Order: sequence, then structure tokens, then C-alpha cells
Amino acid sequence: MILLTMVARVADGLPLAASIQEDEQSGRDLQQYQSQAKQLCRKLNAQSPDRCTLETGDMNFHYLIAQGVCYLSLCEASFPKKMAFAYLEDLHNEFYDQYGRRVPTVTRPYSFIEFDTYIQKMKKSYVDSRARRNLGSINTELQDVQRIMVANIEEVLQRGEAISALDTKASNLSSLSKKYRSDAKYLNTRSTYAKVAAVAVFFITLIIYVRFWWL
Amino acid sequence: MSGFTNLNSSVGYSQNSTPNGGAAPPYQNGPVQTYPAMYPPAGYYGAPPQQQGYSTIPGHAAPAPNKAPVTNNAHSANYYHNNHQQQQNHLPQHHVAPSPYSAPLSSAPPSQPYAALPSAAPPPTNAHYNQQPFQPHPPYATPGSYYGQQSYHPSSARQHPSLVPVTASGPGAPLYPIVSYPSAPGSSQYGTLSSSQSTSAPVGMPTQMVGAPLHQYSAAPPPSTTAVQPGYGVGPPGQTAPTVVNGQGSAAQNAVHQHYTQSHQASLSYDSYSGVPPGSGGADTDQPPSGTPSTSVHSSPGHHQGVQYGYVANSGASSASATTSGPAAAAAAAAAAAAPSSSSSDDDDEEEDEDEEAGGDTSSSTTGSASPVPNSYDSLEGGSYPDSMPPSNDMTNQAAPYGSYGYPSMQSAYQQGPASHTDASPSHDLYGQSGYQQYSQPFPNLSQLSAALGGLSGVPELEVEALRPVNLLQERNLLPPRPLEAPEPNVSSDLKKVNCSPQTFRCTLTSIPQTQALLNKARLPLGLLLHPFRDLQQLPVITSNTIVRCRSCRTYINPFVTFLDQRRWKCNLCYRVNDVPDEFMYNPVTRSYGEPHKRPEVQNATVEFIASSDYMLRPPQPAVYLFVLDVSHNAVEAGYLKYFCESLLENLTKLPGDVRTRVGFLTFDSTIHFYNLQEGLSQPQMLVVSDIDDVFIPSHDSLMVNLKESKELVKDLLTSLPEMFSQTRETHSALGPALQAAYKLMSPTGGRITVFQTQLPTLGVGALQAREDPNQRSSAKGVQHLGPATDFYKKLALDCSGQQIGVDLFLLSSQYADLASLACMSKYSAGSVFYYPSFHYIHNPAQLEKFQKDLERYLTRKIGFEAVMRIRCTKGLSIHTFHGNFFVRSTDLLSLANVNPDSAFAVQMSVEDSLADSSLACFQAALLYTSSRGKRRIRVHTLCLPVVNQLSDVYAGADVQAITCLLANMAIDRSVSSSLSDARDALVNAVVDLVSAYKSNVSNLQQSGLVVPASMRLFPLYILALLKQKALRTGTSTRLDERVFAMCEFKTQPLQQLMRLVHPDLYRLDNMSDQGALHLNDTVVPQPHLLHLSAERLSRDGAFLMDCSNVFYLWIGKCCNEMFIRDVLGCPNYASIPPNMSHIPELETPLSERVRAFLDWLQDNRAFSCTIHVVKDDASAKATLFQHLVEDQSEVASSYRDFLQHIQQQISK
Repeated sequence: MILLTMVARVADGLPLAASIQEDEQSGRDLQQYQSQAKQLCRKLNAQSPDRCTLETGDMNFHYLIAQGVCYLSLCEASFPKKMAFAYLEDLHNEFYDQYGRRVPTVTRPYSFIEFDTYIQKMKKSYVDSRARRNLGSINTELQDVQRIMVANIEEVLQRGEAISALDTKASNLSSLSKKYRSDAKYLNTRSTYAKVAAVAVFFITLIIYVRFWWL
Repeated sequence: MSGFTNLNSSVGYSQNSTPNGGAAPPYQNGPVQTYPAMYPPAGYYGAPPQQQGYSTIPGHAAPAPNKAPVTNNAHSANYYHNNHQQQQNHLPQHHVAPSPYSAPLSSAPPSQPYAALPSAAPPPTNAHYNQQPFQPHPPYATPGSYYGQQSYHPSSARQHPSLVPVTASGPGAPLYPIVSYPSAPGSSQYGTLSSSQSTSAPVGMPTQMVGAPLHQYSAAPPPSTTAVQPGYGVGPPGQTAPTVVNGQGSAAQNAVHQHYTQSHQASLSYDSYSGVPPGSGGADTDQPPSGTPSTSVHSSPGHHQGVQYGYVANSGASSASATTSGPAAAAAAAAAAAAPSSSSSDDDDEEEDEDEEAGGDTSSSTTGSASPVPNSYDSLEGGSYPDSMPPSNDMTNQAAPYGSYGYPSMQSAYQQGPASHTDASPSHDLYGQSGYQQYSQPFPNLSQLSAALGGLSGVPELEVEALRPVNLLQERNLLPPRPLEAPEPNVSSDLKKVNCSPQTFRCTLTSIPQTQALLNKARLPLGLLLHPFRDLQQLPVITSNTIVRCRSCRTYINPFVTFLDQRRWKCNLCYRVNDVPDEFMYNPVTRSYGEPHKRPEVQNATVEFIASSDYMLRPPQPAVYLFVLDVSHNAVEAGYLKYFCESLLENLTKLPGDVRTRVGFLTFDSTIHFYNLQEGLSQPQMLVVSDIDDVFIPSHDSLMVNLKESKELVKDLLTSLPEMFSQTRETHSALGPALQAAYKLMSPTGGRITVFQTQLPTLGVGALQAREDPNQRSSAKGVQHLGPATDFYKKLALDCSGQQIGVDLFLLSSQYADLASLACMSKYSAGSVFYYPSFHYIHNPAQLEKFQKDLERYLTRKIGFEAVMRIRCTKGLSIHTFHGNFFVRSTDLLSLANVNPDSAFAVQMSVEDSLADSSLACFQAALLYTSSRGKRRIRVHTLCLPVVNQLSDVYAGADVQAITCLLANMAIDRSVSSSLSDARDALVNAVVDLVSAYKSNVSNLQQSGLVVPASMRLFPLYILALLKQKALRTGTSTRLDERVFAMCEFKTQPLQQLMRLVHPDLYRLDNMSDQGALHLNDTVVPQPHLLHLSAERLSRDGAFLMDCSNVFYLWIGKCCNEMFIRDVLGCPNYASIPPNMSHIPELETPLSERVRAFLDWLQDNRAFSCTIHVVKDDASAKATLFQHLVEDQSEVASSYRDFLQHIQQQISK
């Protein structure tokens, strides 16, 4: 069962198209998964692995990055991985044909929301168990699916946070050291002043002494 | 506020050294930039209440702490100006011999006076008017007047346009007629302005004041004055063209252009006259002028700025914002000056032209494409920089400094001279401003005279007219010749120009009372009437990565915010200072950088943003339409189904939507029928669910189908549907279960459910009983059953609203169908209700025609899905009650599952905290919706109104139509919650209260009789008309459903429509003359006068047209001119007119053409097309016409005369 499909631009995580299958029977609230999907799209970048499966509870996110576009789907954990990636692959082929060239230019979120129609059709053909059998034969080239990395969604989403935490710590450190530096300078000057003052006092006393008592 | 001070002092100073620095203090904004200039008044300059300042002189001597910074501001600004003066003065000195003055100033460091005057400084706004500061410092005062003189040529001359005072009245007067706008306000304003300059207040003042200086003046520097006049005379003709182009009340523009030219010329002549060293003079055709006038202004009473700057700057800004003014001024300058740097002014021209074009682009861009596309910024920027960067970019940065702050280092400014021509607009602004400031100079004295009006922008004549006491018992002809226009808020002309259209956003009081006490005293309701999703001709659409909003109150940036400097803006609702994001610095319209004030967001009060994904909880939904059709015997009998199917078939392609659009159909009688329209089927499959107690959906993905893919099946279904049920004998109606099924079908996506119902629902949940007793219809003891009988429909509607489903109801019933209960399904889901009493496809052709026309509009009109609307208002005001169809999700968030362009909203407000620290109150309505093409958009409307502290001003700004509509909404709430008679009493009391409040508080005339201000003269008439409406009348036999429907209409109809329902427009058609006729693309539209709604106005020999908003009645008198009958109706004589004629034949006669032109013109901007009924004098239809003659006595309701008598009795009690 494919519950949610999202197509986004990798460069800035801008959502391009999406399709949501509200599940009346189970009444599952997809809101949480949706926001996870959104976050995920933002987190992904050119360095992310091309194909990956992320586990979140009893669901799996599968994503595929191709030509700067990320195809993400949320499936039940029981849904075969092979099918999921075949589905994403299909989406990619169609999407790239239709909109590939325009992807870098758009600014509006969900600019290609019309792709929804196609997504739904595809979804139906993949979910339908009778059709599935027919599809099974074409998926042989996806044998390497087993080697696809599996990670936990939490890890992926947290990764950025850790880095940003590190970043803030580092900047704190640098600002502290700056403060230390200026404080030290201040102390230095103060001690210099003190020295100068002491010497001055000494000489003034000396002069006064010479002026009044010596002569 | 302290932040300010710092900023101004530090930044300001630093800028001196680095003239190119980006951070321009508020001041600079003024002169350099259009918008900011106008803000200061709103934001902080104006913040100290102007009027208050006038009246409470002592109060200002000890300024409130929060005003201190203002002073500082002014102070620091002055500092510069002073500096500047010093240098500038040296120049002027020679010729004008300002010896007494230059001495103190140049010797005394500028800051000194201020230091000496800490107490005087605070009142920058007004207090100095109070002489306190002045007297102790005579030198100051003198320079003031002195300078005043100096600058008078510009200023006096510039007053001419708007004031038409002594000298220039010749050229000035003809100017106005030329600028004839179709929209009355502009021209009327002109009229009044020119005519009544003596009446009072700021505008009038110059006449007095100017009188004196003028003499001196003309005596002193004759050459310059003469130079000015011609320039001025020349200016106008050329300028009228641009103003007309610009379209709306460009009163200010006109005036302003002239300022430009004049100040420009004046200063030019001045320069040459003063013998400025040619080296600098050559370059500075632009600059010195900018310097001179402004200096002189600020110099003397530096503290004036507060107020002066206030509106002065405003108007200056307006002028600048009107890009047209630029070229005109520049051209004039070039021509008149024949300056050495003529080439430079040419540059100006070009640049300004570009601006203009760009401006045109924005305004014409109705959809996303034409307007700024931010991501192309980069490319745009890259492309344009090579050419335009040196002038445009540098220009702002450079201009800024020397505009206001560069003065201290005058030389540097001069050095910049050569490059200075770059700053076409900035420098012009400066002129405008300087002109204004000079102009404002005389005010101190004058403003004392007209303290109350001083703070307002200077259209007091309007106010005076609005306040003219009207004795209702004596004046009989109250109606204006043309339908009433919304009163113009009394704000400065540039604010007026950008202010939100009154059709979209209207306030009952266009001058907001400062305190709740004042509001209570006025006895008028305070509220807003909104029509947020109105069909607009032009709408700037903005695509931007970041939508700039206030960080604390989330207000969208709008034309009424204040730019403190290039990097920061101040929210006009909560006064928080926010940063301007980098992206906002780039203006895609002019393709220039560093002009945040010229972005379309701050140039238009109504804009639409393309929302980013932050504004979406889920991907934008597709357009989904579900039609729920009653197919019981009753429905088949009424015969609507055939016409519905025809209409839908016709408009199937016009349904708003894209390739994702989905449709579904569901019919019901005692069972529920679903239709499987899955692509690939050979014909539609009907699925019947007879279990109405526990409704389930038989098939999940094939009932709501993609319209594009299943179009053939849908067409099939629509053609076969009427036949399918023609033989049905099922009389029951299971509406409730059908709605539940519809809800289940729609809940995954949201969308629109359209319900057609023809009888009382009798089966399953939501079944209703007949509650109406026909014998009680006309009883006077109150109307029962105005509220719902069951909360099923309300609950369902709330569920629907939660799932973003809107429910629209078409009720076509001949019997009682309990609309009070059924209407709940639309009320809470932001739907709309249509009612066709006694609909029958044969027996009632009028209703059928109306149904068809409504349906066509309904199916094709715009629609917004999953919408929310929030209305924000200036701190101190709070909204407490909402009227309309919606669900209030949180305290101020209206959840609108669907939003349609024909529904309006009203809100009631109260003044929580005193608005004393601001002179303007703003309201912003933001509507976030998903368009039918899956775009998430935010439509933002902002309205700006003045705050007043005088009761008379409140009355002067009262909008009688808006008040009537708001009262109608309140009365309807009251009649449902309490009783109808209560509501009626409340309405009568509203009139009584107004009259007695006015009598005791404002009018000091000891007149007997009913005296109301002229602005409210129609109020009693409108209230009487309201009392005679179906919704609120008693006595007459009114069917309950019709009454409830009328109430629904009141809640949701936009104001214009509503007012025509309440008080129809009556015209005489048979003797229309061409006087005052409109000429619109080679058709002549005659403009007959409005007539009072009284039978005595109808005559037997005439033909009259009554415009009741959704229906026209053409009444033909018995002895009507044969020629009219023949030429217009195409019948040989009166007797041969058919009894149920409902169209005007298209005859080739001139009379017919004019009548049709007039009818078309009336219908032009109406959403639903009107039907026309020809009513003969003897026909039975006469009664329907005569019930609209509200001034006459009917069987149970009193006539207008009697009503007034009744009011008078109530008052004297």
C-alpha cells in the first residue's frame, strides 16, 4: 500500500508534486508522516545516497534521487521494496519526460501538482495485486535493490540538528574566545596604566621632594 | 523608541561621513523615496495625535516619554538641516538679505537651540504652534517667517493648484474640470476644494496666511515669482494627461506636479539668481533646488516637522509615487530652466518613463506571469545592471545621503552634483516635499485657528458638507442625483490613492473615533464590511520566496507601513520594527536595488501573494465538485433537473479547475443513488443504497472521477438523468443521509457539495417537521421558528468545514421547506444559499430564468478552496462579532471551506484602548486560499483610516450605507436570538439615538425638528426601508422561508447589492437627456436622476425603471408616451404590451439603444445577471413593484413622514 507520494527538487526541497491517499478505513492520520516527508525533502542534498529506505515505525519511506529530483513514497513496511523502487523509477521516467526541463526554473511550490493524476494511476496499478504479477517480470533489473541502504528516519532528521548544534557550539566558542581576548587586552592596558601611574607618582613625589625639601 | 533615537543620531551621523551608506534614516526616506515619506506621519511622526496636540496645548509642554524620541528624531534631522542651512544660507543671503537670521543660525551650532529647548523639542508635532517655544526664542521665530518668505514663491505658487488662492486662481480653476474622472469622488473633491477654500483648516489657511507673506514676498524677490508663475501655468495642461492615465483621484498628483515644477523652477531661478558658482550650479540643477527649499523649511521651526512632515511628507510622497509626476516635473524643469545640465534631465525622463512602464506592468498583471518573478531576479539583475546600475543603483544611494543628510558636507553634495541628475525620482520627491514643507510653514498660526481640523490632510470642505445639519422634516429631496458613493476617508491624498477600494473594504465610520467613549457618544456602530474575494479587474500578483510580514502580529507588509530606513520597516498595526529582508530590497518592477518602498506590495492596498509551502498543511487540493440532486416526485414535478443538467453540460468545460478537477453525482429520494463513472465503462453505473440509517459508500475510487478522463461518461449521465426519474412516484426525501454520504465521499479531498432540494426532508436523520402556521404569517405578535429545528445540519456543516468541504444549497420549493434549518448546512461551511420560491418550469418562467442565470454564474464563477481569512486591525481596536457564512475557528480566524466571489462579510469592532498615539488606523484582511488550479494564494487587502477625537469628525466620516448594512446584520442576529420585534425596536432606536446624540453633542443650532448631519441624512430613510424588508417586516403576510432567505441574503450579500435590495434605485426612462451622460467606448450611457421611492414620483405618462439589485422592474404608465412604447418595447401601443414581458427587444431606434445602454451599464459589475420585468400600470405585478416604494404607507407600515414624526415623538419623550 502506497500512502503518500511526493516529488521534490533536491536543491532546495521545494515540493513539485504530491499525491495523498487518505485511508478512510484505517483512519490513520497522515499528517505526521507528511511533515516528516517535508523535512526529509529539505534535508536531502546532492550528497545523499541515490536510493534509500528509511524506517519510521511500521512504515517505510523509500526515496530515489535522479536528475536533481527526489521521488519519495511512504509505504507500509510489508510493501515489497522492489515494488516500491520500481514504482519510483516509473514515476521518475514519466516526470522527467513531462517536466524535467522546467524543474530548475519553477519557484512556486507544487508547480506540477497536475502530475498527481499520473501518480494516482501508477499507484493503482502497483497496489492492485492482480496487476502486480505482471509487473513482477520487468523488475528483474532491480535485483540490486537488496543493497539499498536502510536507515532510520530519526537518524536522518537528527543528523542536521547535530551539525547545527556543533555549529552553534563552535560559534559560541569563538565568541567566547573573542571576549577573552578583549578582556585580556583590557587587563593588559589597565596594568600598563597602573605601572605608568605608579612611575608618575614616584617622579612627582620626587620632584616635589626635590623642589621643597632639597632646595 | 529609544532604538530610534540611537539610530537616528548614530546612523545619521555616520552617514555624513559615508554618504553612500545604505542605512538611510527615516528622513531620508522622506525626501528620497515615495513611500517612506508618507509613512512618517502614520508611524511615528503622526503618532503623537495631531489634533490632540492642537487642542491640549499644555499637555505637550510636558511630553510623554514615548514622544521624546520623536523629538530626537526631528532633532537630529534638524541638525542636518541646520547644517545645511548654514551652507545654503550663505547662498540665499546674498540676494534675499536674510541677515538677522543667518547670524543666529550660522553662529549657533544647530544643536544649541534644541539643547536650550528640551521642552519645546518634544512637541515637534504641534506644540510649537503654541508659541511656547517661539516666544522665548525670537530669533527662531523670525528665521521661520523669514524663511517662510524665502520659500514662498514655491509654496505659494504650489498652493494654487489645490487651493486656488488669489493669484493663480486663473490657471488653477480650469485645471480641475479638465481632470474629470468617471469616479465622482475625485472631481467632487476638487470642486469643493476650489470653491470653499475660505471655509477652514489647513487648506484654507494659506489664504489667510499666505496673504501676508505673499505680499512681502512678491515684493522681495519678484524675479523668482514671475519665473514660477509661468512654469506653473504651463505645467498643468501637460500633466493632465498623465494623471488621467493614472486613473484615480490624482488630485494630489496634479497639485504635486506643480509643486515640482514650481519648486524646481523657483529654485532654479533662484540659483541662477543667486549667482551660485557656475561650477556647482551647472551640475546642480537638481540639487540646489532640493537643498534650498527643504532647508528653509526645516530651518526655522525645526520642531514643526512632526506635524508638518506628517502630511506634508505625505503629499510629497504621493506625488512621487505617481510616477507620472516625475517626467512632467523633469520635463518642465528642463524646459523652463534650460539649464546647463539639460542632458541630465533628459536622463531623468527616460528613467521615469521606464518606471512608468514597469508600473503599468504590475497593475495590468492579473495573473502570476506578468508580475515579478523573483527567481528571475538574478537573471534580471544581471541583465539590467550593466546598463542601469550606475544610474539607478547609485542614484538611490547617493541621492539618499544628500537628500537629507549630505548637507553637512555640502561640498561633497556638490561634488556629487554631476552625478546627481541620476536621482530623478528622489530629487523630485525632495522638491515635492520641500514644496510642501514650505507650504506647511504658514500653518502654525492657521492651525491654531482650525485646531480640530488641522491634523487632517486637508479636505475639510468635504467634511463641512458632510456635517451640514439637515432638518429632515424640512428637506424633502434628500437623494443625491446619482447612487450614493462611499465617503472618502479623510486621509492625505496619496494614502487615499493607494487605499483599498470601498467596494472591497468599507468601514462604517471612515474616521475612527479615538476612544470607546467617543464612539459611544456618537451612537453609531463601528464595523467593517468586506467583500474579500470580489472579482477584480486588476490585481498585482506577487511571487516571492519570502512574504514579508511583521514578526509579532504577522501583518503583511502594506502601503501604510513606515520605512525607518532602507533596512527596517515599522508595522502599522502593532508598531513593531522589523527588518527588511534582502530579497525585498530588489524591486522586480523597476528592476532596481535598494528601493523596498517601490515594491508592488507597498504600492498596492490589494495584492495577492503566491504562498510558499509554509502556508500549506497538505498539497493543494484539486477542484472537486459533488452535485447532490433531489429526484423525488416533487422535484420531478418542479422540473428543475432538466435545466440543471443542461446548464451543467453547457458549462462543463467552464467549471473552474485544471486537469485534476473531479466531479461526482449523487441523487436521492427515499434511497441514495451513486453513479460509477470510472473511466473505461461504456455507460454510467447507478448504485443504489437503500440503507439510509447507516449510509456507506459502495465504491471508493470510482464515484468521484477525474472530469477530463471521464468526460464522456459525465455527459452521458447528464443527458440521461432527467429521463431516468421522470416516472418516479417516490415522494419522500432522505436529505440527511444523502448529505452524510456526500460528506463521506468528499472528506478525503474537500471541495464543494452542491445540494438541490425541493421539499422538506422527511426520512432518516435530519428529517424536519412543518413548523410554519400559515395563519400566523401576518400576525403582529412576533415570528417564530427563525432558528433551526435540529442541529443536525449545523453539525454536518461543521464536520464538512473541518474537512474543507463547502455546502451550497439550492432550494426550489413551492411548499414550506424549513430553510431556517436547512440553511445551516451552508452557514457554517461558508457556502451560499439560493432560494426559488414556488419554482416551476412551466408555471413560473421568471423563476426559471433566474434559476438558469444564477446557475450559470454559480458554475463558472471563481472558487477558492480550503481558505482561511484573518482580519487584523491596529492595536487598540478589536473585532468582536462576525457576520457572514463561515466558521470561526479561533478567536479571529475565519475558516472558509470554500470562498466564492459573491459573498461578503461584516464584522463589528470596539475600541479597546485609546488610539491616541496614532493618527491612522489600519485594517488588514488576509485571505489564504487554494485556487481552482491548485495554487495556494494569499489575497491581502489593507484599509487605512484616520483617527479623530472630535465627535463632529466622526459624524462627518460616517458611511450611511455601511452603517445601514451593519445594523441590518445586527438586527438579524437579534431577531434570531431574541425576537423580531426586538430587532425592529433596536433599529428604530438607532435612529432615535443618532438624532438625539447629534442634537445634544454637535449641533448647537436650536432648531426644532429632526436634525442630522448631512452625511447621515439618508439614515432614517434606509432604516425605514430596512423595516419594510421581507426579513424584518411584520404585519404583511410573509412566508417564513422567504423571510429566512432574506435574512441569509443580508448576511452574505455585498454592500452595493444589499443597498439596492433595501432601497432600490428608481429612474425615469422616458425623458432621459444626454446631460451628464457617460461616454464609454462609443456608447452613450445616459445618467437619469435618482427618484424617491414614492408613488407620487411615478406619473402616468412616464416609464420608470426600478433597480432592485437582482431584478429590474420597468413600469409603464397608462398614458406613457407612445413613442417610448414603440421604440423601446416594440409594441404599437400601451394596450398591446404583453402582460409578462421580461426582456427588452433589441431595436435599432436611438431611444432603445440608449435604454439598453443604460441597462447594460447598470448590470455591468454585477455578478448575477438581472432579469427584467415590464410592469404595466394595471397589471397585478404592480403590487410587487409597489412594495418597494418604501416611502409610502402600506397597509401596516408607516410612510416616511409618519416615521419621522414617530422618531420625533420618541426623542421629545
